[in-house]
Amino acid sequence: MADNGKVLDVKHIAKQFGDVQAVKDVSFSVGKGEIFGLLGPNGAGKTTTIRAALDIIKPTSGEIQILGGKMTEDKKSRIGYLPEERGLYDEMTLLDTLVYLGQLKGLDKATALKRSEAYLKKVDLWEVRDRKNQALSQGMAQKAQFVAGTMHEPELIIIDEPFSGLDPVNTRIIKRLLYEMRDRGAGIIMSTHQMHQVEEMCSRILLINRGEGVLYGPLEEIRSQFRSNAVEVDLQGQLDDVDGVEQLSPRDGGYRMLLGEGVAAEDILQRLVSNPAVTVERFERVEVSLDEIFVKVVSGAGDQIEEGVVE
Amino acid sequence: MKMIWLVAKTTYRQRIRSWTFLFLTFGLPLIMVVAGAVPVLTEFRGDIPVIGYVDQTAQMADLEEIKVEGETASLISYPTQEFAKKGFQQGEVGGYLIIPENYFQGGAPMYYGENEPNTKIEAALEKLVRVGFLSDTPSWAVERVQTPANITFIAQKTGQRVSEGPALILRVGTPIFLALVFILTIFTGATQMGSVVVLEKDQRAMEVVVTSISPTELVSGKVLGMTLLSLTQVGVWIIAAVLAVLLLFLDDLAGHALSIPWGSLLWAALLGIPGYFLFALVGAGLGIIAGDAEQARQLAGMLGFVGLAPMYFLGVIVKALDGPLAVGLTLFPFTAPTIGLFRLALTDVPLWQLGGSFLTLMVCLGISVWFVSRIFRATMLMYGQKLKPQEIFRAFSELRSAG
Repeated sequence: MADNGKVLDVKHIAKQFGDVQAVKDVSFSVGKGEIFGLLGPNGAGKTTTIRAALDIIKPTSGEIQILGGKMTEDKKSRIGYLPEERGLYDEMTLLDTLVYLGQLKGLDKATALKRSEAYLKKVDLWEVRDRKNQALSQGMAQKAQFVAGTMHEPELIIIDEPFSGLDPVNTRIIKRLLYEMRDRGAGIIMSTHQMHQVEEMCSRILLINRGEGVLYGPLEEIRSQFRSNAVEVDLQGQLDDVDGVEQLSPRDGGYRMLLGEGVAAEDILQRLVSNPAVTVERFERVEVSLDEIFVKVVSGAGDQIEEGVVE
Repeated sequence: MKMIWLVAKTTYRQRIRSWTFLFLTFGLPLIMVVAGAVPVLTEFRGDIPVIGYVDQTAQMADLEEIKVEGETASLISYPTQEFAKKGFQQGEVGGYLIIPENYFQGGAPMYYGENEPNTKIEAALEKLVRVGFLSDTPSWAVERVQTPANITFIAQKTGQRVSEGPALILRVGTPIFLALVFILTIFTGATQMGSVVVLEKDQRAMEVVVTSISPTELVSGKVLGMTLLSLTQVGVWIIAAVLAVLLLFLDDLAGHALSIPWGSLLWAALLGIPGYFLFALVGAGLGIIAGDAEQARQLAGMLGFVGLAPMYFLGVIVKALDGPLAVGLTLFPFTAPTIGLFRLALTDVPLWQLGGSFLTLMVCLGISVWFVSRIFRATMLMYGQKLKPQEIFRAFSELRSAG
């Protein structure tokens, strides 16, 4: 059982590949029964961090405690992993593949078969169980890989882009399974670029940029840091630029604006009202989306905020 | 061990259903049997025509017929070659044999026929020449002369008895056959290991598998699976070979006391199985380095070349079966199975040399498992990349420095 309710505790890890510093300094922990979002732009160091956590690669420095200690061969059966680079054995049938991978995760053959059958029914793949993997559609393969990585009901689940290639119906199926696993007590790390999924599912997040953790903590807390900084405006007329606005995004009937640091919403309203080219019909302070926070932080605009949040 | 066995079993099941395996296992021996049997069967199927002969030595008996392989060949004696030629042209005989006047001084008999004679005609002619000159010899002696004695050789040192004929062929032929089978399995099995590893990487299942079991278990399981597959293949080939020999030479083998050469079989197993493992591991390592299927195939060709290497030394080794080169190659792990078995066929190989071969093979095998597993772990996530030596070294250094 994990120590102090933590299934993963990563402390100041770094990883260098030759001359490339893939990860500079990343720290985070994941508890039991939580869905944790691991975010970052492409090449930020997310996959390297995950691989180091799973002992696929060794970090150059730092400490990793997984399920209460160092990684061992025995612990592998308590961990589920859906990697970014994933695939199934083309020539094997779906059911055979799942039974095989389930056995590799320590299940006996009868249990692996029973679980495979149960999960295939849950994800609507029962009808294609005898089909060769190479004949599965992208969405089917995606669901099958999810089952392969989680059917042994592990305590720690690490999933990289679990919803890529899935339609809304299948996305809902996978989400439901993830919630079931979380409710069962599993700690889940979800790495994705789909911010709306993170907003909906994750309780805490870590944003990595250029190999460093730049934003870390409970999602609500992070949002509250940005709360006063976004407004939605309905107006008649056209806007190209507004002083004090960092992001100006057109929307139906108006604009969504992300304000710069220290800029008050009232000042913006004043500027709009005094602009003869536009007529303001509605002005409302709104919550900043995670997507906007991501862009703001990654583009280097959130230096002051990150200092207050990053541990 | 449980996981190694699971990977091996799955690899075995996956590959045994493949078209390539089925063709190589069943198709190849079938083609060889057909290719070998058709000419033989064609030869035996021909009739024996009436044969004319001219005895210019004037020493032969006047024969009217001769028995060959259960058939009777009719003979016509002609006084001169001109008469024989005329008889042939008129269709009286299918061909005629001229036994020259200087036959006893080494002169060669000449046969004139429509085409090349089949084996039955050849046998009839040979018998005619042999029996024709034994007209005054009692029939029981003629019969014995026609059935040469099989000499039994008894080695005073070891007490080993070997009879000439099928028993000797079995004793000498078995290790040579097994050595050739070993080389063949290197080509059909061990050289495929690279592709098996590349496939594992190409299908992107690698990351999931190595977070379930250790790289050593994965590599060992793959190699064991392929070894079992090759053993199945070898088993089928050996059974096919035994059946073919029994079917073709059943009559010749009757009455001979044949014993299975257990010694050769034992050493074939002790040297051949670890030897195959070694080649398979090196094949796997080359596959990891290659990065993609095309490169893996090219490197596999090099491995096949190493497997075939003992054949290049065979001429030198046969001349000095117990010479330093022969002993050295018997002890060298990559040539031990082949050279060891070849020498077993032709000489008494000292036990220390065979035991030494086994030991060096096992040590080399252990080092290979260690090395290939580490290189596999260090490079398993480099999809589709051919590794340069400095990258392999760097990956190793990172593994070592990280513990």
